Amino acid sequence: MSLSFLFFGFLALLVIALLLLASRSSNRQFTPPTDVFEALSQSRHCSRLTQIVLALRPEDTEYLRESGQVALMQALRRQRRRIALNYLDQLQEEFEMLLEISRVLAVMSPEVVGLEEMERWKLSVAFAATCAFLRWKLRLRLQPFSGFTLLSNMATDIARQLDAATTHIAEATVRGSERPVLGQKNFDGL
Amino acid sequence: MVEPLHLRNLVWALTTIVECILFAQLARRKFLVKYPWFSLYVASTVVQSALIAALYRATGVSDAWVWKVAWSSQAIVVFLRFQTVAELTKKILRGYPGIWALAWRLLLIVGIVVLANSLLFSNGNWYWITLNVDRGLELSIAAIIVTLLLFARYYRLPIQPLHSTLMIGLCLYSVFFVLNYTLLEKYIRELAKFWGFLDVFTYLATLLIWVNAVSFYAESAPQAAPPAIPKELYGKLSSELNLRLHHLNQQLNQLLRTEDQRR
Repeated sequence: MSLSFLFFGFLALLVIALLLLASRSSNRQFTPPTDVFEALSQSRHCSRLTQIVLALRPEDTEYLRESGQVALMQALRRQRRRIALNYLDQLQEEFEMLLEISRVLAVMSPEVVGLEEMERWKLSVAFAATCAFLRWKLRLRLQPFSGFTLLSNMATDIARQLDAATTHIAEATVRGSERPVLGQKNFDGL
Repeated sequence: MVEPLHLRNLVWALTTIVECILFAQLARRKFLVKYPWFSLYVASTVVQSALIAALYRATGVSDAWVWKVAWSSQAIVVFLRFQTVAELTKKILRGYPGIWALAWRLLLIVGIVVLANSLLFSNGNWYWITLNVDRGLELSIAAIIVTLLLFARYYRLPIQPLHSTLMIGLCLYSVFFVLNYTLLEKYIRELAKFWGFLDVFTYLATLLIWVNAVSFYAESAPQAAPPAIPKELYGKLSSELNLRLHHLNQQLNQLLRTEDQRR
């Protein structure tokens, strides 16, 4: 089979697959900026998870094993796994919210930085892949892991930074209302 | 039994009729002014069909001069297809200056890269050069459209059904042209007669998609553009957001490494 045949055959099929993906009706439409800013001001679950995560230390399980309560240990491990999965869900939600904000910003901005947008696309793919991998590992293993404290700290940090972002945006909105709305660019420059 | 060549000619005649219907629909719905490049493209296909049919009738299929005229007219048609894609892209992205500035550069790069690779991977036979260039251009059009649709999906930009259907039609025809030609190149002897039929048939399907879109979808008023923010604010917030996303990703990776070390 020739290289040319493989190249064009593969590319044509890839384009058809991507076209199907792109033309699928999306249930998520463009979020109005006001809704995003409102979402930012709402309380975030991740910031409250520190205490829950701290209670997930492996020593607790070991103590139960030593005292002979294996059934209870297993029940606890199942519960911990559920909590850990829930935590990952929350973390992903936080990440997606940041992405959503960045999308709204890009749409509202008269000029976007290609490299930064590209960086976000790469990050979103990497994050989704790592998150899916961790979730898969969690589903296969019963033992919760100590590394979750890292996530907890990170989530608290993110929440704090998001609050700062909300303040910036609120300030900008106030400033923006005092300025004339930017005119539409000339699109004949292609 | 109907000969394949006669069947192909029948479908060819049918496509010309459908092209005329499409053009009439464009005029009836007052889309000629709103979509000048698409209208020109449809008109050019009608003229091309009529011209080639007349030349074939007068001089015969094997005449080299007719072959040159046919491919020259094809160059005009492909150019108008590119302009149609550009026209629809502008209509989709016109409310978002920042996104537009990024998108047109990206789409241009995608188009050039795909075209260059297509020519690179084509068989190095000068006899096929015209078809190779045509295939490269068609693949380039398809890649640009898919990138645009994915781009709009990522930024959750609303696309009117009329625009998306026209784009999907353009993309489908381009992809099937590439597939048809790639099959022809490999199985030349077996497919030589059948190829023309496949090409015309996929084009007819595309025309029917467009007729449906132009007849039933209205061009809705463009949505109000979102409020604009100063670009300095975008720069500042964008960097901050990227930093946080990066941080979040690093932490996740660190967590993954911690997990691996425990094993």
